[in-house]
Amino acid sequence: MRTFFELVKLSARRQFTYRAAAFAGLATNVFFGLLRAAVMVALYGERGEAAGISLQAAITYTGISQAVIAFLDLFGWWQVIQSVYSGQISGDLLKPMDYFRFWMAQDLGRALVNLAGRGVLIMLFYAAVFDIVLPGQPGQWLGLLAALLLAWMVSFAWRFLVNLTAFWVPNAVGIGRLGYSLSWLMSGFLMPLRFYPEWFQKLCNLTPFPHMINTIVEVYLGLLSGPEMMAALLHQALWAAALTSACYLVLRAGVRRLVILGG
Amino acid sequence: MRRMPIVVRELKKTYQVALQRRGALGALRSLVNRKTRLVRAVDGISFEIAPGELVGYLGPNGAGKSTTLKILTGLLVPTSGEVQVGEFVPWRQRRSYVAHIGAVFGQRTSLWWDLPVIESLELLQHIYDVAPGKFRHNLDEFRKLLDLDAFVDTPVRSLSLGQRMRADLCAALLHEPPVLFLDEPTIGLDVVAKERIRQFIRHINQQRGVSVVLTTHDLSDVQKLCQRVMIIDKGRLLFDGQLSKLQERFGGRRQVVVDFGERYEAVQVEGAEVTQHEGQRATFEFEQGTISASELIGRISARYRIQDLQVREPDIEATIRRIYEQRLLG
Amino acid sequence: MGRIFGLYRRLVAIRIRAQMQDRSSFLLETLSTVLVSGVTFVTLALVIQRFEGIGGWSLGEIAFLYGLVEVSFGLMDMIFSGFDPRDFGNRVRLGTFDQMLLRPVDITLQVFSSEFIVRRLGRIAQGAVVLAVGLHLVEIEWTAAKVLYLPLVMLGQIAFFGSLFIIGSTITFWTVESIEVINIFTYGGAEMMSYPMHIYPDWLRRFFTYLLPAIFLNYYPALYFLNKPDPFGAPGWAAFLSPLVGAGMLALSLAIWRVGIWHYQSTGT
Repeated sequence: MRTFFELVKLSARRQFTYRAAAFAGLATNVFFGLLRAAVMVALYGERGEAAGISLQAAITYTGISQAVIAFLDLFGWWQVIQSVYSGQISGDLLKPMDYFRFWMAQDLGRALVNLAGRGVLIMLFYAAVFDIVLPGQPGQWLGLLAALLLAWMVSFAWRFLVNLTAFWVPNAVGIGRLGYSLSWLMSGFLMPLRFYPEWFQKLCNLTPFPHMINTIVEVYLGLLSGPEMMAALLHQALWAAALTSACYLVLRAGVRRLVILGG
Repeated sequence: MRRMPIVVRELKKTYQVALQRRGALGALRSLVNRKTRLVRAVDGISFEIAPGELVGYLGPNGAGKSTTLKILTGLLVPTSGEVQVGEFVPWRQRRSYVAHIGAVFGQRTSLWWDLPVIESLELLQHIYDVAPGKFRHNLDEFRKLLDLDAFVDTPVRSLSLGQRMRADLCAALLHEPPVLFLDEPTIGLDVVAKERIRQFIRHINQQRGVSVVLTTHDLSDVQKLCQRVMIIDKGRLLFDGQLSKLQERFGGRRQVVVDFGERYEAVQVEGAEVTQHEGQRATFEFEQGTISASELIGRISARYRIQDLQVREPDIEATIRRIYEQRLLG
Repeated sequence: MGRIFGLYRRLVAIRIRAQMQDRSSFLLETLSTVLVSGVTFVTLALVIQRFEGIGGWSLGEIAFLYGLVEVSFGLMDMIFSGFDPRDFGNRVRLGTFDQMLLRPVDITLQVFSSEFIVRRLGRIAQGAVVLAVGLHLVEIEWTAAKVLYLPLVMLGQIAFFGSLFIIGSTITFWTVESIEVINIFTYGGAEMMSYPMHIYPDWLRRFFTYLLPAIFLNYYPALYFLNKPDPFGAPGWAAFLSPLVGAGMLALSLAIWRVGIWHYQSTGT
């Protein structure tokens, strides 16, 4: 466990070397956020509310969805793929630390810095420019923290799983793009899932993707009653556990294959 | 073939190097108010190279070798000074100029990473507009000399470093340039691969009369290839002349290492200096030309009982290190 | 001229062949692009339908604008692959750009033909479908002028987006690191231009009118094709500036590019 936290710290510190990129990313997130907020306003038109979401909440949503991108790193994490192809993995597997946890620790460090840095800055910017919604009761804040942590776990396990295809195919990046595009579409990153027709929402809810962004949004905006929130968090936790188990199973098979083929 | 002498006069290149500030705030401040430092990469260099010469350009890392070469190949514009290669000023007429030179930058390839070698070479034929007959003829010759056949159909990314260098040399010469610039052509290669590259460079220099300027920090490259050597450090030319002259002037001290038959308290011989004396072994150093080795050995044996001895020639590496360290020519 | 065109064709053909070496991954990536961008629009359409349009524009009208911009951007993204700012910084750093300077062929032509990413066809195909759906839904009153002008609008957009790529790559001569900020103008610009410009706050729209004249490339031509009134009261010829603005931006970007090369050669990063 100590190694785990050391790795988290190390990776968090490493984030500070990418300052220029972080500023650029922040600017990009803010720009896209403003763009989406404008689209939202135009969509609502004369309406004050749609699908139980007020215009004010919808604008806040555009901020939240941009604020969590860097935190969840949903659309382009290829590190395990690169490590498998470069052979770096053989060395990492020899380390006295579980391979999944090895990456999880590093991703956690990266995620926390991006949440505290980019995420919070974006929301502060939104608070300055728009009249945004804030979670009310302490229970909602606690729920939000849990939702964020669980969302990161679901996202990490999914990304790790996608990366593991590199053990079997020579161009896992292609598969990865497909995998990431599913989270792009079904996580509620483009629009709050409540805006979609019933059947599409149902379809999404059969997958882990809504638990990456949509759950955070619903908890933050207070769209769920107390018991509903608990159910959503439980659902999220179940997916985190399921995907993590899948990671371990697939990883074991992959490592066995690597050993047989001799890297 | 065109004759393209190289003339360099008072060449200078200075860079502004931005100083990094620390911390997030520092990064922001750097954006607004950049602090810079002036670096003199090349600081007033002059030389001439006649057609057909093979010149080694030697110096430690960061001495200004690559900067000079980048200026000579037209990649970089100097701060001041003149360069004339044949009728060209490299950076002013870059596009027409580069058609008449060959250049290989050791760590980078001019070939297409994901293409088989032969396709890269054929593409270069079109880029340099080489007549098909001339192209065939040159390709056939280089294929033999560089032994390319084993890997012409292999993508460049799968070549070993030595193979890649051979392919790059071939690529640099297909359009028959009268001048060839090589930046560290043997870097990272094993002894056999180095020797093969050197043989080829010697061949195109002697048989085709191509002028070659090569930078290196491997002294055996210089010893085995170059009649003339230029030494640069901190942007200044420290030496320009025959390799043998360098030895004479700066590496002049030869050594005789003697193992005595018994222990002596102090040893001393006229005409040589004892630089080391430990147990029964002593090292005598003497200036070349003042006394011959046999004469010195005679004097030693007249005074002491010798059991064994060896004569050491001056070490060029040590010579050059001394030049750098003591700035003998500064 | 013939030699230049021949060389261009040869260099691009090489790039295409390299991508086809691994056919399965090529198909997979193209397919995933089609799927993603296709489904992106479908989900957007579902939302638009629920809200009965955006800013007074119907789903069909939005689809027309969106499809047009997607096709142009996709085409540009393929044709100008060599100038993609995300890769260009790497090439400078790895010395590939130096190697190009060592060849006796115009440097702009070399960079232009140094990459040609075929999987962008996925996005183009998707855009074409959306455009077709849009055309089907809105029933434009076609005139000869409109038929002739549509491809010109696309050319203008391609030139416009291409100029952003060129400027983005030029900036990397100064920053070395490829900088993400340029994404705001390229990808952000494309996304923004997919919606009618009157929905944006004034300062943003003014920026994209006077500083970066994007509004003449998508919005005014779209108003003309769709016979919609202009809420800003610009003169009628504003709709016909697309090819002009595109060509002007391209020329400007190439001039900046020249300055960038000059800077690069005098500092040598």
